Amino acid sequence: MSGGRDEILSSIRARQLVRTPKPEIYSAPKSEGDLAESFAKKLSVQFADVRLLDSMADVPAAIADVLRGKNMAQRVHIAPDSALALDLPGIEVSREPPGQNEAAVTEVPFAIAETGTLAYPAGKGRPASWHFRPVLEIAVLRASDVLPELEDVLKRLGGVLPSTLNLVSGPSRTGDIEQTMELGAHGPKSLAVLVVKS
Amino acid sequence: MNLDPKNFPQAAREALTDPLLRPALGRLKTHFGAGRAAAVARYGDFEALREAGKAIRDYAVTHMDELLTQFEESVVARGGTVHWARDAAEARALILKVLQDAGAKTVTKGKSMVTEEIALNPFLEANGIVPVETDLGEYIVQLRKEPPSHIIAPAFHLSKEQVAETFFASHTGLDPKRSLVERNALVQEARAVLRRSFESADAGITGANFLSAKEGAAIIVTNEGNGDLTRLLPRTHIVVTGIEKVVADMTDVSVLLRLLPRSATGQPISTYVSVMAGKRGADESDGPAAFHVVLVDNGRSKLIGTEAQDVLRCIRCSACINHCPIYGAVGGHAYGATYMGPIGAALNPGVMGVENAAHHANASTFCGRCAEVCPVKIPLPKIMRHWRAVEHAKGLAPKSITAGLGVWAFAAKRPGLYRFGASVMAWFLRSIGRRGTVHALPVMQGWFAVRDFPVPQGKTFQAQWRARK
Repeated sequence: MSGGRDEILSSIRARQLVRTPKPEIYSAPKSEGDLAESFAKKLSVQFADVRLLDSMADVPAAIADVLRGKNMAQRVHIAPDSALALDLPGIEVSREPPGQNEAAVTEVPFAIAETGTLAYPAGKGRPASWHFRPVLEIAVLRASDVLPELEDVLKRLGGVLPSTLNLVSGPSRTGDIEQTMELGAHGPKSLAVLVVKS
Repeated sequence: MNLDPKNFPQAAREALTDPLLRPALGRLKTHFGAGRAAAVARYGDFEALREAGKAIRDYAVTHMDELLTQFEESVVARGGTVHWARDAAEARALILKVLQDAGAKTVTKGKSMVTEEIALNPFLEANGIVPVETDLGEYIVQLRKEPPSHIIAPAFHLSKEQVAETFFASHTGLDPKRSLVERNALVQEARAVLRRSFESADAGITGANFLSAKEGAAIIVTNEGNGDLTRLLPRTHIVVTGIEKVVADMTDVSVLLRLLPRSATGQPISTYVSVMAGKRGADESDGPAAFHVVLVDNGRSKLIGTEAQDVLRCIRCSACINHCPIYGAVGGHAYGATYMGPIGAALNPGVMGVENAAHHANASTFCGRCAEVCPVKIPLPKIMRHWRAVEHAKGLAPKSITAGLGVWAFAAKRPGLYRFGASVMAWFLRSIGRRGTVHALPVMQGWFAVRDFPVPQGKTFQAQWRARK
């Protein structure tokens, strides 16, 4: 620790006049209706391709269809130790980190209905960088994991954060040139979310 | 580029006649202003959200000592290190030491206004370390050796043609005949070039939009994802931020996250929100092996308990800048400081000294739009007025202004004299006015160069008031 610590703290304390009380917990306006539908609606307007599927059995065909739609090879990256147990006939699966022109399939632990957001706590089989490396991310989410708001995700994590919690609400974008939005700045240019109902 | 806040009047005059700046400044209203208005209208009770944000930030500012020590304990408990920097020089030295200890030669950087404030990049370069800005706007202005002209849109002042020129001049290894006409071509070129930097960097430096004391986490909001590649791919991650960014916990952060993107770009949430708590955990698949946080004071703590304390609530959304007629006329570079517009006018005199940055507080019409759109309700005009009073009390205001005000104050305290003076002035203006307008006077020639003054009509206010009674 450097010598600046005590000096900064005493500078704050020397001047601290009135401590205001801890505010009451804010309650955000609640979204109406089905959480998964609300989530899908919110994320769709953020340039994501959101598809509602009936069961996990529909996932392989949906992945193949997303790849075809992007004119990409039938090849995806899935993290080693991923909890996704997918049998993907006709699709080559790599366990290496995806390059900047490749596709990754990721497992989504939670999602947020309020903002149409995917919540990824880093963990075993869930490398945080994989949400930023590929050009296409195909995220697999169970409808029952959609929660109303960010506060609910924090509760589910039980107050213990992983080293990284990523909240993702669409493909990478930038408005840095003439304040005009372009997709695919550093992270994925496309985000597809497969929401599995059961 | 002359980065001197004392040069503001001259720099502002030059900016007013810069034809390249006009189209950029026009986008303030059509892009940022309209975006915020639409997002606020869609949210339900935005006023209640602003009140909540204000209360959360007030609590944080008035408990900054407790929250910073709690933040430090939480970071240390997760194997990270917290460094405390009293000023810019100490911050630069601490960052360099961390980089040298890590054996770092190249460092990628996420967007951080605090590293602009402490002039980190030239210092690292002088010490043999290559900093690479990765936010697209920051990358463009770094290539052009310019400072950012806006706190959330660093290349705000540039056209796509200027960006293309910059890329042709800088990316010399690429085909000189390639097309960079479309914006997306520019974005894709930067993506490819910078991906190599991400993969080879020894360390990554990001800022923080918030620090959460209870969890020991730094939170950043981005749209590009560059901040995450900066944190996650190198071995060492350093967060550099101001001491005032700390709040109590992630619940408070959740509330502020509803305010920040809506106020900034009009998005309900930024594409990426990244909660970064320490180094890679034992069971985790990736992440940095070392985590450092450099907390920078640099004049902030001395604002606590003063009339400018409320400025520490700022969450750097830029709504005040985006709605400011002064910024809208002169742009960001004229300020000659890291923070421009109303937030600069309220903050800079406090941290840089009134003798250096009083011009910023004077560059306001007090129209009040900044305070109306501020997500944490900072009374920005009131704080600017405070700095003007300090400037006057210290005898720093220009003699032409204090002398004129002195004459007016002398008369204003003597009703008979004021009445007489006002009627003489009205008679004088009527006698030299043509068709109801005064075009010039022997004094205030600068003012009359671009404006006319209407000839006073009818009786003076005081005469009318007397007649009513």
